[in-house]
Amino acid sequence: MGYEWDFGIVLRDFDVLLLGLVNTLKITILALLFGVPLGLGAALLRLSSNPAVRIPVGILIEFFRSTPPIVQLFWFFFALPLLTGIEIDPFRASVLTFSIQSSAFFAEVFRGGIVSIERGQWEAAKAIGMARNQTLRRIILPQAVKRMIPAFLERVIELMKTTTLVATVSYADLLYQANNIAQSTYRPLEVFTIAALMYFAILFPISMTVRRLERHLARTGETTAH
Amino acid sequence: MTEVLRIENLHKSFGANHVLKGIDLVVEKGQAVVLIGASGSGKSTLLRCVNFLETPSDGRVWLDGTLVGHQSNGAMDYRESDLIPIRSHVGMVFQHFNLFPHMTARQNVMEGPRTVLRLSKAECIERGEKYLRKVGLAEKMDAYPSHLSGGQQQRVAIARALAMEPRLMLFDEATSALDPELVGEVLQTMKDLADEGMTMLIVTHELGFAYSVSDKILFLHQGLIHEQGTPDEILVRPSQTRTREFLRGHATFRLPDAEF
Repeated sequence: MGYEWDFGIVLRDFDVLLLGLVNTLKITILALLFGVPLGLGAALLRLSSNPAVRIPVGILIEFFRSTPPIVQLFWFFFALPLLTGIEIDPFRASVLTFSIQSSAFFAEVFRGGIVSIERGQWEAAKAIGMARNQTLRRIILPQAVKRMIPAFLERVIELMKTTTLVATVSYADLLYQANNIAQSTYRPLEVFTIAALMYFAILFPISMTVRRLERHLARTGETTAH
Repeated sequence: MTEVLRIENLHKSFGANHVLKGIDLVVEKGQAVVLIGASGSGKSTLLRCVNFLETPSDGRVWLDGTLVGHQSNGAMDYRESDLIPIRSHVGMVFQHFNLFPHMTARQNVMEGPRTVLRLSKAECIERGEKYLRKVGLAEKMDAYPSHLSGGQQQRVAIARALAMEPRLMLFDEATSALDPELVGEVLQTMKDLADEGMTMLIVTHELGFAYSVSDKILFLHQGLIHEQGTPDEILVRPSQTRTREFLRGHATFRLPDAEF
């Protein structure tokens, strides 16, 4: 029994899918815009020498890393309004959830990058009289960021894929639009194939970039003492 | 003579490990003082207490006649804000160079003047070039550390410390990580500094170098100064058994008077 593929019906609604893709990218980019600086801040607090700062921030990071993002999304969308009385639309709930959720992961990427820098770099900076924040900004982060890029891009890929969950709170992302078209055209195979290809078209180049960078970094292996 | 460094009854413990057990030491302006001793004797820890990379557990440190830190209830209290100016006046050269790999030689040397002393850009560039020239690396100013030999990297590290125009230079086994054929150029740079009257406190295993540059040698054993004196007194006619054993270990195999 052969299935007759018909992409024509689906391609007629391609602009609807494109709108969905734009919305997916909107959530992803906004989550990055808020999540990356928030993650850096959280990483620095988690590296604080003061346990009263370090421990609560650590617990918060681990909480968001160890709970399913869909539960977090439902919590911000359904529970937060009940608690605060502030209505929140699907778009805001999605940006809020994925900013915080991704910041927890970015915090660990930043922390990993920072602690991977040899103690000698901190000491050399300290020995010429540099303060901790100067050392961090001028010596440690420029080196750490370079090492973090592959892990960082890996998180970006994960983040964009995880944003498909926003369809569950009726935000019109790519998956939500695809689902709608599938139901109205009875052509789920074609619709979801094209949706998958659209995700792939964005994420595959990023994934390839990660590979290339990893190879490059492994080759140059940066350290001052050989 | 003016004292640059005075240390009294310095103690340092890491947990239950009592590394320094009461060190007294004075370094006068223009002197080169060498610390020798077996590994674990506390030489490096002593050096690291002078610029407060390690916080002393007990005792007092004076730099240029000024007591470092605040006294509270008989103990010393060291605040980061007090230690930063101290560190900017005391240069340190590390065993593993610790150059900043993302900066060129010139940028490495300019970093302290720029970030800590907040000199103008022109002054920083001038200092960078002046001190790289001084260590014989005028032609390597724009090279990154990964493109320099170990000896060149260590000379950049010396220039980086000198660019702060320190009153005291600390050398923590500056040649121990180098290939043997590169040791000489770094020792020569250090000797030139000593000849120019730089005040230096040096931890080294190069006894020939210690003999020819130092004004005073201290032999550390189990966290205490076991014996001290002129290079001749310590290296040629040591009076203590421990010092003799240590030196004998270093002189097991020797060349006859060779002509190089």
